[in-house]
Amino acid sequence: MQPGVLSPQNNPAAVSVKLEGVVKKFGKVTAVERVDLELPAGKLVTLLGPSGCGKTTILRMVAGLERPTEGRILFGGEDVTRLPAYLRDITMMFQSYALFPHMNVYQNIAYGLQVTRRPKAEIKERVVQVVQQVGLSGLEDRPVAALSGGQQQRVALARSLVMQPRVLLFDEPLSNLDAKLRKRVREEIRDLQLELGITSLYVTHDQEEAMAISDLVVLMNKGIIEQQGDPRTLYTRPISRFAADFIGRANFFEGRYHGGYVEVAGYRQPYRQEGISGQVTVMVRPEALRIQPSGEGLEATVHQVSFLGSTTEFSLDTPVGRLEGVVAGDAPELPGRGERVKVQFAPQGMFLLPA
Amino acid sequence: MAVMRQSRPGRISGGRSSAWLPALVALLSLLMLPWGRTDRSLLEFDGKLLVLSQAPGLGVLLLAGLAVLVVASLLHLPLVQRGYALVGLGSAGFLAGVGWLVTTGVPFGVGALLALSALLVLIGVGLSESGIIQNDPFVTSSILISSLFVLLFIVYPLFTVLRESIWIKGVFTLSKVQSVLGSPLFISIENPYTPQSEQFRVALTTLALGLVGAVLAARGGLRAGRVFAGLGAGLVLGWIVGAGIYGGGALPTSLYLALIVAPITTGLGLVFALLEQRSRAGWVRRSLAIVSLLPLITPPFVFAFALIYWLGRSGIITGDLLGLKSNFLFGINGVAIAQIFAFTPVAFLILRGSVQGLNPAFEEASATLRAQPWPTFQRITWPLLRPGLAAAFLLTIIESLADFGNPMLLGGDRNFLATEVFLALTGRYDPNEAAVYGTVLLGLVLVVFALQRLWLGNTSFVTVTGKPGGGNFSPLPLWLERTLQTVLALWGLAVVLLYFSIFYGSFVQIWGINNSFTFKHYQDLTNLGLPVLLKTAQLAFISAIIATLVGFLIAYLVSRQQFFGRGLLEVGSMLSFATPGTVMGVAYILAFNTGPWLLTGTGIIIVLALVFRNMPAAIRGVISGLSQIDKSLEEASTLLRAPSSTTLRRVLLPLLIPQLLAGMVFSFVRGMTAISQIIFLISPGNALATVLLLRWIEQGDLGRGAAMATVMIFGLLAVILLLFAVSRCFGRGTSLDAAV
Ligand SMILES: Nc1ncnc2c1ncn2[C@@H]1O[C@H](COP(=O)(O)OP(=O)(O)OP(=O)(O)O)[C@@H](O)[C@H]1O
Ligand SMILES: [Mg+2]
Repeated sequence: MQPGVLSPQNNPAAVSVKLEGVVKKFGKVTAVERVDLELPAGKLVTLLGPSGCGKTTILRMVAGLERPTEGRILFGGEDVTRLPAYLRDITMMFQSYALFPHMNVYQNIAYGLQVTRRPKAEIKERVVQVVQQVGLSGLEDRPVAALSGGQQQRVALARSLVMQPRVLLFDEPLSNLDAKLRKRVREEIRDLQLELGITSLYVTHDQEEAMAISDLVVLMNKGIIEQQGDPRTLYTRPISRFAADFIGRANFFEGRYHGGYVEVAGYRQPYRQEGISGQVTVMVRPEALRIQPSGEGLEATVHQVSFLGSTTEFSLDTPVGRLEGVVAGDAPELPGRGERVKVQFAPQGMFLLPA
Repeated sequence: MAVMRQSRPGRISGGRSSAWLPALVALLSLLMLPWGRTDRSLLEFDGKLLVLSQAPGLGVLLLAGLAVLVVASLLHLPLVQRGYALVGLGSAGFLAGVGWLVTTGVPFGVGALLALSALLVLIGVGLSESGIIQNDPFVTSSILISSLFVLLFIVYPLFTVLRESIWIKGVFTLSKVQSVLGSPLFISIENPYTPQSEQFRVALTTLALGLVGAVLAARGGLRAGRVFAGLGAGLVLGWIVGAGIYGGGALPTSLYLALIVAPITTGLGLVFALLEQRSRAGWVRRSLAIVSLLPLITPPFVFAFALIYWLGRSGIITGDLLGLKSNFLFGINGVAIAQIFAFTPVAFLILRGSVQGLNPAFEEASATLRAQPWPTFQRITWPLLRPGLAAAFLLTIIESLADFGNPMLLGGDRNFLATEVFLALTGRYDPNEAAVYGTVLLGLVLVVFALQRLWLGNTSFVTVTGKPGGGNFSPLPLWLERTLQTVLALWGLAVVLLYFSIFYGSFVQIWGINNSFTFKHYQDLTNLGLPVLLKTAQLAFISAIIATLVGFLIAYLVSRQQFFGRGLLEVGSMLSFATPGTVMGVAYILAFNTGPWLLTGTGIIIVLALVFRNMPAAIRGVISGLSQIDKSLEEASTLLRAPSSTTLRRVLLPLLIPQLLAGMVFSFVRGMTAISQIIFLISPGNALATVLLLRWIEQGDLGRGAAMATVMIFGLLAVILLLFAVSRCFGRGTSLDAAV
């Protein structure tokens, strides 16, 4: 991909975005409960959360399509809370793409430049540039209705990028694509974003997508921010059962923690974690289950083993309930259904939460 | 080849304001155009009429304020603070200007109109830029301007009608209301020249129907509430029927007429709708397609006119065949027949919607449950049809009450509410009496609308289902289909004969007396009627364009923007649709005859009347078109830095062309065929085709009238066919039903 008009590595136009105490109510419904959030300049931040938690609402407030009931929104220190959307210098990729059906590819992409009265020559140059960048060359004269879903997606992306926005917003841009295409397009989006250094806010409810492309993941629940951090922190140090459950899969059970050991149904698992003791909820990721036929470990009976190709999943019945586990590849050495085994937990896949 | 990014101003929350343009417009129109007028013409120009000579104090203040605003708008200043200044100074100027006009009563001039509108735009820009209102300047200004126009040309005239009926020569009094309601023109039951007592018979009918109502209600369950409701409804209907038959006066006559016409029309509409959906015969569909076109191309009282040829004093049937010299046609009979012909296609269009909403799956499901056809109809089809039937019924009642042309031509010695409004004003020169009649008529219509709300709630007339699914409607039983087809065939025959008689009548010397062929009427028409026809077409065309554009704007505002008072704007702009034309006509006369808003006697008031009368149809068409367009298209455009005026022009307008085109053609057609409202507003030089046609028929110049009607029918037909051809080019259907 050739670096072009949109190339500056550290985009000087990229701004940081800050939400201070933002609340949004629709009549009696509180969609966003009081959110403080900072998007560092040039980074890609994901809003992740279940349906109806207020992600789209936050995005639309940043865009200026909704006005916060309370609180302020700042772009690089400047208060834009009351600035109308069309002056904010932001573009957005809509879930439905929102391409103009009566225009062809070129006209769609050029629209924003035309309405801001750029010179003809510049428009042409910038459109050609961005068309190459997103790999749509040769399709300029197509009506958008005659494009595939993936191509429409690219037109929408090109239409946003060509405006060189201060902030780029994405509202579940991939949800209309099939699984394979989704993966490819999200990688392309991330490549372009890194290359152009545009501050981006990305909404999704797919945790894998969020982990794959973000510098920072903001996990939301019922209108408030549950936890934010880089993908690794969120996965390994979830602050609540909701966070652990939403990001990746997890097993939960009760235990006691003191003196460097977690005690579960008589088994003492060595483990260290600051700032917690006594009765706890233990979170264990499936890949952290270690099975051995005998020796130290929690008593368990194999319930099921299923070979899925690249992984093998299994479940165990233990005194603290059923635990789900996974190992890479085929694992013929795994004991069969009904066999009694001992299970230990790898500390890097564990985390303790207050009971 | 790096092109540098455009340098941006450090703060985008400051800069120039688009307010300079309206401020400049206001400034220049105050400096150069007349502020007030001395007579009716808006084109008058005289140095003495400039604001500086007419109202020097006001003028200096306004000009100075505007000059400050122009300069301030062109400087780079903080948006918010300047926004507040724009709002403050703009409102002060607007209020001062309007206040001056209202207190002095001087008719406004072109300059005042432009300057005051520009001031509103200025306020709108200020409201947006200060952030008081979240919408952008264009939207805010549009809201203000369209609210002003709706207030001035819909709400204010209606208010004037109410005021004039109880506020006479500056004093509040109910004496006019009393004298009108007590007069025999309004209600007369007892006829002293007959031996029997009409009052007794009316009372008897009232009681009898009241009893029937109570008994019918009691069959559904013996609860006091139901029985009393049934009794009440029966008593009201009984009185209407009794007073309509035995008595007279405008109120009982109009109500009785509506009660006769509504069920017949609704029934015929249902017959046609069922036939269209389920008939196996091809000719049925084809002729029904034509039926649905009829109301569009027929001037409102043309059927009445044609009926005179057939059933009048020397009509073919009454005179030639039966040898009578009968007045059968002139009175309730004739008006009812004419209205049935005129309104059946409208009922058909409404019921077509609800019949199409029926899902064959329901009937099939019911049939597989071994229900016989009749119970299926009773328990499945009927409940689904009921809302549509009620809607058609009530709409026909409203149309019948509001109808002006048919009673005018065929009313004979009976009085009708709609014509009494007109006669009180132009015959008896009593504006207050006209206002009382207007208020009564408006009240009745609003009651019917309220009933409709009560019965149907907010549900749409058409049952909500998904796509018309697969499955086939069970064909009608053969005997039923034959019967319905016969009804349609008879109706079609009658319509053909009526049209033909007009056509024929325009080519014979004197219908029924001298049937020799002549072009005389067309020659007369060329001399006397052509200029009027052209003038009418011109006014209708101008008003159609304005109605469509303003309708588009209002539809966009109420369906796509959030703002305080949105519901009021919607109701206000639809109000003129609910108001009977004669009421609106008298309202315009009363509101715009003197004082600051003097407009009568000009072509402009006719255009305005047509604009505000036809706009609701355009609004509905655009709203239904907008509901098909995803809102994210507009948001995408906004985020690509298009102000909403650009979004409207470049995104929505191209996507809504079929709706707008249809709206424009229908506005034009309605403008050409309107009569009830504009008959109040014509003036020398602004005669209109329908009014002239009505006068010719009343004078007995039937041949000339027939020639005029023929030309109008073919002209409108050509326009409609052109619309169909054009919209076929766009590949999208016309929203014909939506606009009718
Ligand atoms: N215009 C509106 N009027 C009223 N309520 C609204 C409006 N928009 C959103 N809401 C409500 O606010 C809450 C948050 O909505 P939002 O669209 O932000 O959720 P979301 O996180 O984007 O969900 P999803 O993943 O389903 O898109 C929901 O309860 C929703 O019903
Ligand atoms: Mg959403």
